[in-house]
Amino acid sequence: MADFRAVLVLVAVLAGLALFGPLIAPNDPTAIDIPNRLAQPGEVYPLGSDAMGRGILSRLLHGARWSLGLAFLVSTIGLAIGVAVGLLAAMGGRFADWAMMRTTDIFLAFPDLVAAVVIAGVLGAGTSSLIFALTVTGWMRYARVARGVGLSLKTRGHVVQASLAGLSRPAIARWHYLPALVPSLTVVWTGMLARAILGISALGFLGFGVQPPTPEWGTMLLDARVHIRSDPLQMIWPGIAVVACVLSINLAGDALRDGLAKRGAG
Amino acid sequence: MLKIDGLTARRGGKTVLTDISLAVGPGETLAVLGESGAGKSTLVAATLGLVAPQLGTVTWDGRPLGRGGAALVMQEPRAAFNPALSLRRSVLEPLRAQGMPDDAARIDRLCAGLELDPAMLDRKPYTVSIGQAQRAGILRALIAAPPLVLFDEPLSALDAVTQKQTAGLITALQREEGFAALIVTHDLGYAAAHADAVAVLRAGRIEETAPAADFFRVPRSAYARSLVAAATSLGALERRVA
Amino acid sequence: MNDVVQLFLRSAIVLTGTAVVTFALLWHAPGDPALSIAVARFDSAVSDEVVARIRAEAGLDAGFWAGFAHWVVPLLSGDFGKSSVTGRQVWPELLDAVRLTVPLALLGLAVGLALSVPLAIVAARRPGGWIDRGAVALASFGAAMPAYWLALLLILVFAVKLNWLPAFGAGSASSLVLPALTLGLGTGASLTRILRSSLLEARGAAFLPALARRGVGSRERAVAHVAPHAMIPVLTIVGLELAFLMEGAVMVEVIFGRPGVGSFLVDAISARDFPKVQGVVMLTAVLFVTVNLVIDLLYRLVDPRIGERHG
Repeated sequence: MADFRAVLVLVAVLAGLALFGPLIAPNDPTAIDIPNRLAQPGEVYPLGSDAMGRGILSRLLHGARWSLGLAFLVSTIGLAIGVAVGLLAAMGGRFADWAMMRTTDIFLAFPDLVAAVVIAGVLGAGTSSLIFALTVTGWMRYARVARGVGLSLKTRGHVVQASLAGLSRPAIARWHYLPALVPSLTVVWTGMLARAILGISALGFLGFGVQPPTPEWGTMLLDARVHIRSDPLQMIWPGIAVVACVLSINLAGDALRDGLAKRGAG
Repeated sequence: MLKIDGLTARRGGKTVLTDISLAVGPGETLAVLGESGAGKSTLVAATLGLVAPQLGTVTWDGRPLGRGGAALVMQEPRAAFNPALSLRRSVLEPLRAQGMPDDAARIDRLCAGLELDPAMLDRKPYTVSIGQAQRAGILRALIAAPPLVLFDEPLSALDAVTQKQTAGLITALQREEGFAALIVTHDLGYAAAHADAVAVLRAGRIEETAPAADFFRVPRSAYARSLVAAATSLGALERRVA
Repeated sequence: MNDVVQLFLRSAIVLTGTAVVTFALLWHAPGDPALSIAVARFDSAVSDEVVARIRAEAGLDAGFWAGFAHWVVPLLSGDFGKSSVTGRQVWPELLDAVRLTVPLALLGLAVGLALSVPLAIVAARRPGGWIDRGAVALASFGAAMPAYWLALLLILVFAVKLNWLPAFGAGSASSLVLPALTLGLGTGASLTRILRSSLLEARGAAFLPALARRGVGSRERAVAHVAPHAMIPVLTIVGLELAFLMEGAVMVEVIFGRPGVGSFLVDAISARDFPKVQGVVMLTAVLFVTVNLVIDLLYRLVDPRIGERHG
């Protein structure tokens, strides 16, 4: 339980950063200030400014909303799709199971980041393509886990009782399957959240993601790359932001998984 | 009345039940006796339509058992309840699933008959005793007044005192409610005390069917004789120890 | 035997599905592909006639399934079609790109193995010891590190500050060092994590104390009994690492300005050269499905009890 709380606290901190980060940003993240371009850290720009004179700290804080907010969105839509597919496979008959699992295999037949690059690139750069690309490539693990747990529930006493009582399939899914799926899906969700953050910044870095001048960590790195010789600090900050978020989410996910494993064993 | 006619069922690629024919009328109790592996739980599942029969039919008054046509009391009382929900929610599930209103008066009446404190229903299954959970299980089975109730080893998870008490409560409620009961068990004592008729299931076939009184006086088949003899000698042993 | 046939059948289904999904994506992509081909070939002002001719030539005037057949039937005999921009055959250029990416990926894998195998073995010797904890921390850190940022950091240190190695290009052997290091560090991190836990699992297996009692020496126990058990997860990892290497190659090639499959793909997407995009996608899918099939078959060799591998 303590681990579950740790994850909740972490999610709250990240959500808070995404929601309130822009409020504590000292400058306008898109205001161009050519005279003060590539400024060193100082009073006006605590982490310096970029090539257009925009404050790096403010862009990082506003970028949190994009990077983390989109990651929340993408991993949660993927969760919904994956649970639907997984439960259809587990609760439906043999054919439904076969069809759902082969569909999952098709989407797994490709490295997901490369697939996301292709989809986002072909559909045209932009936020909606980005969301679509990362969702389409990010629901399969949920589906597999939901199916696995679902199959193990099928013969459980209360599930049999619910279908004998004549409860409808959606109601059985809602009341008898979903609660049992929550722990393992939370673990998968943390992993997918981290993956989404990496994916968003990777697509941004390739120019297929969130478009400038919107501050986003990956696009910030893309901008900073040109100045690697003159002003290397610029590419340090967004990288630290990505690594710190992904690392803490992964660690929280590990703690959660270990906690659940212990509870399962004890 | 329940009629099982020529039922043959497979499970896991093997024929588990062969040509089973049984009948139970309203208010009657049929005890199906058998050792573990005889096909008792498959019989329950096939009767309820959870396992599709290869051959044969299961009908109630000539029609297939529809939604709410039968209820089941399971062997493991607590596993039969959703751990995430209160007992009350699970007990009300059959009513709600069939679009019937929550009947508080009926719950109270059945609780009284089951000697179960209604406040207990607001707890989760793993916070009550096994005996209480099983009585809540019986409550759920009876709540929507199904014409047929199946009991799958309903007492085997309970201790001896609770077994006796629960068996008495089931019989009393049956007198009041008038449902047909099909009880699958290996417990001859229970059958002797509470069943109207007895069927012996062995290796997936019905070996013998008889009114309970006749069965325990003169079991016809050799297998039934050995069962009764074993139970009698055990009973004698129990009496001697006590 | 029957389930081996099923494995092949399943691979065929997955490949067919991938082809349909890929074609559907490009079919529904925004913009008129015939018009963009015309513009790419003949510059802006093109007549409707020319566009119509290109549409018919590229099989774009028929319905979805006819268009799909127009693409997939030649593909079955290895014909990837022509670039919609240059009009040249896709396959020779794609093959050149593959020839440039394979050494990079192999070198990356080699670096990853050279780092992870000794580290995992030393770490698993004393679980919870300081080397073990360090290895776990390093692996977690590596998993959180995006390849493109790691690449930028390596460029910053070794090319900009120390000026030891070239930062961009693919001309010399030394230009391969930083890209391979980027790939290898990432691969090494995830390999360390998985090797370590599979070694620990195999060592904790119930049969080992019994073997020890029977007088089987510790070296023999490790070689003959622990290693085969550690093999099963390792096989799975090879499949996963392939995905990692492929993703890494895309990022690394773009950052270091190296030609290869990754740059080929990104350039094709930017130019909206769909036959090239389709070519890369299908080649990758064939590679993945084949590798997974081989892994599934190997599983049956290592442990005949396994009926189905669960991902």
